[in-house]
Amino acid sequence: MLHLFKYRFLQIIRDYSAMFWALAFPIILGTLFYLSFGHVGLEATGDSAWDMIKVAVIREDTSSENARAFESYLGMMEEEMLDIQDISKETEALDALNEEELAGIYYIKEEPSLTVAKNGLNERILTSLLESYNQNAAMFRKIAMTHPENLPNAVAALEDYRQTTEAVSLAGKDLNPDVQYFFALVAYACLSGIFLGVKSSLDGQANLTALGARRSITPTHKLTLVLIDMSVLFVIHFFNILILCLYITKVLGISLGDDIGALLLVDFMGSMIGICMGIAVGCLTRMSLGMKMSISVLFTLFPGFLAGLMFGNMKNIIELRCPIINRINPAAVLSDAFYCMGIYNDTERFTRCLLILALMCVCLLTVAFLGIRRERYDSI
Amino acid sequence: MSSSDMIRIENLVKRYQDLVALDHLTLSIQEGEIFGLLGPNGSGKTTAINCLLALLKYDKGSITVFGRNMQPDSYDIKKQIGVVMQNVAVFEQMSVQENIDYFCGLYIRDKAKRQSLVEEAIAFTGLTDYRKMRPKKLSGGLLRRLNIACGIVHKPRLIIMDEPTVAVDPQSRNKILEGIVELNRQGSTIIYTSHYMEEVEQICSRIAIIDHGRVLATGTTEELKQMIKTGETITIEAIQLDNTLLAAIRDLPHVFDLAYEDRILKIRLSTARHNLVRILNFLKERDISFGRVFSELPTLNDVFLEITGKELRD
Repeated sequence: MLHLFKYRFLQIIRDYSAMFWALAFPIILGTLFYLSFGHVGLEATGDSAWDMIKVAVIREDTSSENARAFESYLGMMEEEMLDIQDISKETEALDALNEEELAGIYYIKEEPSLTVAKNGLNERILTSLLESYNQNAAMFRKIAMTHPENLPNAVAALEDYRQTTEAVSLAGKDLNPDVQYFFALVAYACLSGIFLGVKSSLDGQANLTALGARRSITPTHKLTLVLIDMSVLFVIHFFNILILCLYITKVLGISLGDDIGALLLVDFMGSMIGICMGIAVGCLTRMSLGMKMSISVLFTLFPGFLAGLMFGNMKNIIELRCPIINRINPAAVLSDAFYCMGIYNDTERFTRCLLILALMCVCLLTVAFLGIRRERYDSI
Repeated sequence: MSSSDMIRIENLVKRYQDLVALDHLTLSIQEGEIFGLLGPNGSGKTTAINCLLALLKYDKGSITVFGRNMQPDSYDIKKQIGVVMQNVAVFEQMSVQENIDYFCGLYIRDKAKRQSLVEEAIAFTGLTDYRKMRPKKLSGGLLRRLNIACGIVHKPRLIIMDEPTVAVDPQSRNKILEGIVELNRQGSTIIYTSHYMEEVEQICSRIAIIDHGRVLATGTTEELKQMIKTGETITIEAIQLDNTLLAAIRDLPHVFDLAYEDRILKIRLSTARHNLVRILNFLKERDISFGRVFSELPTLNDVFLEITGKELRD
């Protein structure tokens, strides 16, 4: 068996066109992702980390304590989300607002106010900022009046609250929005094992290739041949996926999670599901090679699309509208497993994802084995 | 049919929708033979082989090999069969030696035995100097030899060769044919399909002529030739032969068919003494000038022509 494994391994890794699609193409795609939006500018994806909101600040009355506090608050926000334009006259600011060059105008006075021209996301954020300031200011005023000795503690508590809510995610890890594309890419790369599987199963199909006929008339059991092919393909594909993950993490600097064991486990199951899909498509249907390849393209790109490879938010939309699709779409399950591992640290959901993938593999292999058992063809 | 038949095919029917590819094909092959399946392209030779190997479903009939029914999972039978496919079936990504070793490994588990068999097959097919080369670098003839090496490397008891010399130059073809005879000498029974009658005539001990999926005749070359009327074919280059003259020639004793085309007169006669002299005297008496003259004993092509009414290569 080792003998057959060795030669099949050599044969497949020397098939440069197959290896290009299985290894080089996902790496190229990852590099393009990185250059397009991962590194140069995330704005290109429509999933911008944050666009600074352009505002003008008109100082009507800076003598009061509250006005100075609000000015200081806006100064703090300027570093995080506001792009305060250099406009001091109200008329100029209103013109700019009408021209949609600004999202809003803050007025610094005893009772701070905001003028916006329309009701969009940025305008709502500006309103929230003002409301947040007013609530906190009211709270401080109340504390100052009732328990002035506790005012320093209240300020400190608010400071702590800000740090906690703004810097720390649920799992204590930063949620970089562009990571989802790389999760989907790895999921796509895993599924692209289908091409290796289909191509290899052709070598066992007497009705499609002369090699298939030659291998079908040997005394080696057909299931043995399929299992050897599958093992070889799995080893090759698993290493391909590991190389891709190494490239993404070490070369592109995108973190796919800190738990190496879990990452290996997802890669393992991902490679397995890709190869099993390929073997199933290759063995089950008595279709032409062209038809099988078309199905393979469909089975990689469509699940990839649904998992967010082309449009990052697609998986979330499906989760809201029809979550069952995300449960049976291997790319979405893989992507979810990456999320659970890398972002959420949700062991239960992670285990569920792996079990779903394992179940899919078993089903696909059963179908494939039933398909090739005692196979005889109508025509060759 | 005899109980000692190595292969017995009875009343095999295979249809592709309305097309009947095998029409109650019946054959028996004995151990030690080089059995030729002769027929034009599309006559059903390859279909018969694929049914025999349990690759193709068939509609009716039975196939026994080594006395047992042949099924897709008849691994004990398959172990003793080697097949040289019509199309070259090797891995492009592996060298000559790796290919032979791989296919040998599908039959033989023991490493030492396998290595020795691979070396023998490489030497037998004359591929020693090419063992490290990939198939893409080999000429057509060498590629065919590699195809043969992959099929016979495990020294099978029965070798099935489906048109192994298609698109091979004459020199390589002769080497392949010599190799087949040698394999038979070493003890393998061989089924050889071809539409090249010269090859079949040269190497086969028994021949079945197939057309439209039916066996039209079976026997040794001599037996087949004796089945037909043609004992001799005389070809003469002659000009100005009119219909009256041609009718007169047709009326000569032992002549049963003639054709005149492009100044070539072809006369088919039954076996008799002095056929050629009689024809030439007839032409001289009528002062008809003629050029080259050939007299040929019947060939398999004549057998095929008489049995099917068409040339083998039509």
